[in-house]
Amino acid sequence: MRYIGSAADHLTIIPASMAILSFLNRDHSVAGADYSRWLVPPAALAIHLSIGQAYAFSVFNLPLSKSIGITESAPTDWKLSTIGWVFSVAIVFLGLSAAVFGAWLERAGPRKAMFAAALCFGLGFQVAAIGVSRHSFPLLLFGYGVLGGIGLGLGYISPVSTLIKWFPDRPGMATGLAIMGFGGGAMIASPLSTMLMAHFKTATSLGVAPTFVIMGCLYFAFMMYGVFSVRVPPPGWAPAGYAPRATVHNRITSGNVTAANAIATPQFWLLWAVLCLNVTAGIGVLGQASPMIQEMFPGVISASAAAGFVGLLSLANMLGRFFWSSVSDVAGRRAVYATFFTLGAVLYALVPSTGRAGSVTLFVAGYVVIISMYGGGFATIPAYLRDLFGTIQVGAIHGRLLTAWSTAGVLGPVLVNYIREYEIAHGVAKADAYTTTMRIMAGLLVVGFICNLLVHPVDARHFETANER
Amino acid sequence: MNADPANPSPKAGAPVLRLIVAWTLVGVPMAWGVWQVFQKSLDLFK
Repeated sequence: MRYIGSAADHLTIIPASMAILSFLNRDHSVAGADYSRWLVPPAALAIHLSIGQAYAFSVFNLPLSKSIGITESAPTDWKLSTIGWVFSVAIVFLGLSAAVFGAWLERAGPRKAMFAAALCFGLGFQVAAIGVSRHSFPLLLFGYGVLGGIGLGLGYISPVSTLIKWFPDRPGMATGLAIMGFGGGAMIASPLSTMLMAHFKTATSLGVAPTFVIMGCLYFAFMMYGVFSVRVPPPGWAPAGYAPRATVHNRITSGNVTAANAIATPQFWLLWAVLCLNVTAGIGVLGQASPMIQEMFPGVISASAAAGFVGLLSLANMLGRFFWSSVSDVAGRRAVYATFFTLGAVLYALVPSTGRAGSVTLFVAGYVVIISMYGGGFATIPAYLRDLFGTIQVGAIHGRLLTAWSTAGVLGPVLVNYIREYEIAHGVAKADAYTTTMRIMAGLLVVGFICNLLVHPVDARHFETANER
Repeated sequence: MNADPANPSPKAGAPVLRLIVAWTLVGVPMAWGVWQVFQKSLDLFK
């Protein structure tokens, strides 16, 4: 506790913790005159590069399945299918927390939300570490899945509306820069986790628990850099020479819609479907990338070469987020999504034939483009929402839209896995089992194309008036 | 353009050193990750 004031006001006791927490308030994070808006993307990247670790959680699957037996799974060890729930629960809580806390984030500001994200994500690792060392699956699930998942959701949406406000002239590029970090986080986390586990490995432990402890601390510190360096623009600020493009033709609104009103519009649900269908198609491929390329090219592609393919897809996922969202600032959001759905449908339909033709290069190139558009879909959606619903609650609206991701996270892998198993069970060769799946994915993208085509400007009756804000 | 002249407008040119430090802090881990992927992906085209 800290005591402030003279004898006259010595009864006024301000807990030091409250003083520290007040630093997190939106009022305390308004940018001063010496602040550059180009400091915001690195702050956002610090958050997204950290939480992007989630995509690399699978590197822990095998060690976790042998945490008792060490060299091989003991009867009391967790099964791989059980461990798979940790990632699934984390993604479910990502979507839920983004939807639930989106409106709070708009009021509290990005600094407080980023701090809460860092706390949850860092603490989640520590609780998960205790779970691993005590071999308690509920603790592991609660730590990484629930606490970590809430950190993922808060962290994912926290910088988005701030970036849109700092870059009204290039909202797609700005959010693409941040969300690119989520795609790239796995490229850092995967080798880092492997190195740390190798360092901590002993005769009686595979080193997962100490790796979780170190990673939790590292990510907390890195995310705190984002907390300290993020700023919100002063009210009414706009970049030099910026003139808003408020034309119906470009589907860019000059009005503002609240999150509560947004979900009552058909535009919100059309974009929900657009995101869900784009992600469903991509996530199914990402989850099966390694076995898929080995089965398409039996005897040609080894397990280590397949790991290289997975790595290339991660890179395409990351770069696609920046590239496509930047293109959308020039070409328009609807045109970019139309490209995802048409080009994506053609590629999904054609890529299996490149496998049959034995061309690894064409096969890889096809999937690199497909996954770049998967990433691009994530990165372009905040700017699409801003165009349609304005900026006042774009973070909250984005949070609610991310439930489409949670849905796709279940749909995509289920479609790919079950259809493939059904095909193989009915006598189709493994190399050909993906053809039907890819055609179904192409069909989903055609539906997405139609949904995107139906997106029109939001009716003005949904706009907030100045008095309502 | 600053729509509200009463508020101080953040400058376009903040201390360059701060920008360099900020971008280096996030750029170095990203570059390391890309390098790791590049090395791994060489196996694919052998």
